[in-house]
Amino acid sequence: MISLIGFFALCFSTIFSFTLLIPVSIFKINIKYFILIFRLSTFLVCISFISLIFAYVSSDFTNFNVFQNSHSDKPLIYKITGAWGNHEGSILLWICMISLYGFFYSLISKSANEFKILVLKFQSALFIIFALFIILTSNPFLVNSVFVEEGLGLNPILQDPALAIHPPMLYLGYVGFSLVFSLAIASLFRNNLDQDWINEARTWSMISWGFLTAGIALGSYWAYYELGWGGWWFWDPVENISLMPWIAGLALVHSLLMIRGEQAIEKWIVFLAILCFSLSILGTFLVRSGILTSVHSFASDASRGLFILLIFFLTTGFGFLIFLIKTPSKKDDLHLLLINKTSALIINNILMMITVFTILLGTIYPIIIEVLTNKRISVGGPYFNSTVLPILLPGFLLMSIAPVLSWKTNQIKKFRIYVICFLILSLIVSLQSYFTSFNTWGFIGLILGSWIIIASIISIMIRHRFSFTIKYITSINSFIAHIGVGVMIIGVTFSSIYQKEYNFNIEVGDKVSLENEILKFNDMQIIEEKNYQSLKANISIKKKNGNIIYIKPGKNYYPVSKMITTEAGIYHDWFKDIYITLGSENNNIWFIRVLINPLVSFIWLGVIIMVFSSAIAVIKK
Amino acid sequence: MKKIVLILPLILLTIICLFFLLFILLEKNPNEPPSALLYKDLPTFTSNNLYNKNINLGSNDLKEKYTLINFFASWCTPCRVEHHFFFEIKKENPDLFILGLAHKDDPNDSKKYLEEEGNPYSFVGLDQDGKIAFEFGVFGLPETFIVNSDGKIIFKHTGPLTKEIIKNEITKLF
Repeated sequence: MISLIGFFALCFSTIFSFTLLIPVSIFKINIKYFILIFRLSTFLVCISFISLIFAYVSSDFTNFNVFQNSHSDKPLIYKITGAWGNHEGSILLWICMISLYGFFYSLISKSANEFKILVLKFQSALFIIFALFIILTSNPFLVNSVFVEEGLGLNPILQDPALAIHPPMLYLGYVGFSLVFSLAIASLFRNNLDQDWINEARTWSMISWGFLTAGIALGSYWAYYELGWGGWWFWDPVENISLMPWIAGLALVHSLLMIRGEQAIEKWIVFLAILCFSLSILGTFLVRSGILTSVHSFASDASRGLFILLIFFLTTGFGFLIFLIKTPSKKDDLHLLLINKTSALIINNILMMITVFTILLGTIYPIIIEVLTNKRISVGGPYFNSTVLPILLPGFLLMSIAPVLSWKTNQIKKFRIYVICFLILSLIVSLQSYFTSFNTWGFIGLILGSWIIIASIISIMIRHRFSFTIKYITSINSFIAHIGVGVMIIGVTFSSIYQKEYNFNIEVGDKVSLENEILKFNDMQIIEEKNYQSLKANISIKKKNGNIIYIKPGKNYYPVSKMITTEAGIYHDWFKDIYITLGSENNNIWFIRVLINPLVSFIWLGVIIMVFSSAIAVIKK
Repeated sequence: MKKIVLILPLILLTIICLFFLLFILLEKNPNEPPSALLYKDLPTFTSNNLYNKNINLGSNDLKEKYTLINFFASWCTPCRVEHHFFFEIKKENPDLFILGLAHKDDPNDSKKYLEEEGNPYSFVGLDQDGKIAFEFGVFGLPETFIVNSDGKIIFKHTGPLTKEIIKNEITKLF
């Protein structure tokens, strides 16, 4: 019954969206009714999604999707999140968001009516394409042909709080770019040359980028403690394809913030907007079609793959075609100097585009090679580390001073202070690396990260008088964002370069010493939880100052899906994480792996600062 | 010149999509990687018998006869699905040597599994540490290989066998 409601709500929502696309020449709808129909369609698709959630919550196994992905023993929270923990449900969430973005746009936008209608039309068109994809190939409301009493269960590694909100966050990011895409395409069709849409695009791309950042970070955090590999970024294809729209989105956000009426940059913004959404669909296509296998591939089906490929081709092709035909031809010159804001922006954008292209190449290269030569290769960390990092370096260097550059001249205010501070900093960092173990990348990372932070702080102090107001925070927002990046760079550098690994084979009661700590294996416990059995090692670590901390790495056994997951035990400290994974057992001797990851918390702190700053930028008008 | 720059994204898009299309149409399923071993010699291995650890079987023992090698485990649900087909294959080809290899499985569990499902294998070998599977490039269980009398691998299938596969691909090999 609930499946039926959900399915019909979805169908009617699609039909209503269709009526919005009727050309004005055939039937002219009043703007009031137009928006009403759009909102009705949004309402219906939300009903559809809610009924899917309801089917999950009530463990309605007459629904095939629920049967395949849920189990009545699951805790409520994972029943709810199970609704988007599978292919069909996640695409339903995706279109729900397309519609919701349009809905909020219709509420907030102050654009002229014609423009608003145009944007909502494009948004509806995107909605319809994806809705048809659901109805034709991935219907979450299929009814189970046989009667069953129990479901098959959700993949255990997905039963995790970070993962419960990771997909919605990521989708809010991906799908947000659909609205920016609609805005950009609509801007090519408008008759007058007013630039109101730039302001709207700025808000919406900022929102999307903030969500995307949070989504990627959550996924990364999850991988850090759930996969038990000790790292937080693996250059996994699925990570790469979420990174591409993120970087393109970063370029877009910067361009939108810096535009001062230049036609050339506006054109570039339209291009970036199309690119961002295309990369978002590309990501969805590659994951959903099962071309890239990873932890995300819960669906691989050739017909779905073809359908999404078609959507990707049509949407992106349409976008670029309109861009080709309708591109504004009026020329004006950019005010370029050796080093002013405009040139810095252009260098920044070029670097980001090269990065995106490099990642794209690394991601699809294995596919091209397999088609051509029938050989399977994989492109992993070494390629990306040695290509992407060098491209980013000049960008980071530029970033430290970019916000204080001038628009019209080559000069930087109080240039001398910056130079002096940079020299002092280099001296300190050089001494530091001379007395500890020297590592080129470690040196570069530390100097860049701390220079970005220090330069931003100097700029804030020179240019802004401190006060406790929101206005003050908004005025220094760009510096805050860059401080976040600096903090993250330091975290990334230290955690990847100065990571230490220890492997032990120990019995219960054994003590071993790490560099400053003494590790003791106290005992093994078996804990029964509602949906799994947990085997936990109780390990205590005595720190130098005498404090004792307990870390409990373990393994969970999920009887429903007969899977075992590794649960890393992590002790978080500001300056280092102690990360322990439990290996296999042999005659009561357990293999444990201990990683000392310095400054990992800085990565998450940096991300939080960036997301915070994007939220401030949205509020700022 | 300017137009070319604007057309470039479209061209790139088309090329990329073309490759994806080919990839899908050629059915390059990532779950079935091309086997480097097909039409190559059987890798060398030795395996202990599940029921008596003193009995070994090595790749040398498989010469001059057709052998079907099936990797299975008690924890592998799809293995149960295909299991009864081996009785049928055995019935139709009584001379065929069917080697079952219990992959990363507890011997007691494997024994229990074979009690429940029946034992169609001519020999059940242990591969507790997964080394033999590694030699064979096993990607996921179940996986089935057929070796001809020259010691060459002439068939490989990842995933459970089906009636169609047996009828269309396996039967004609003998």
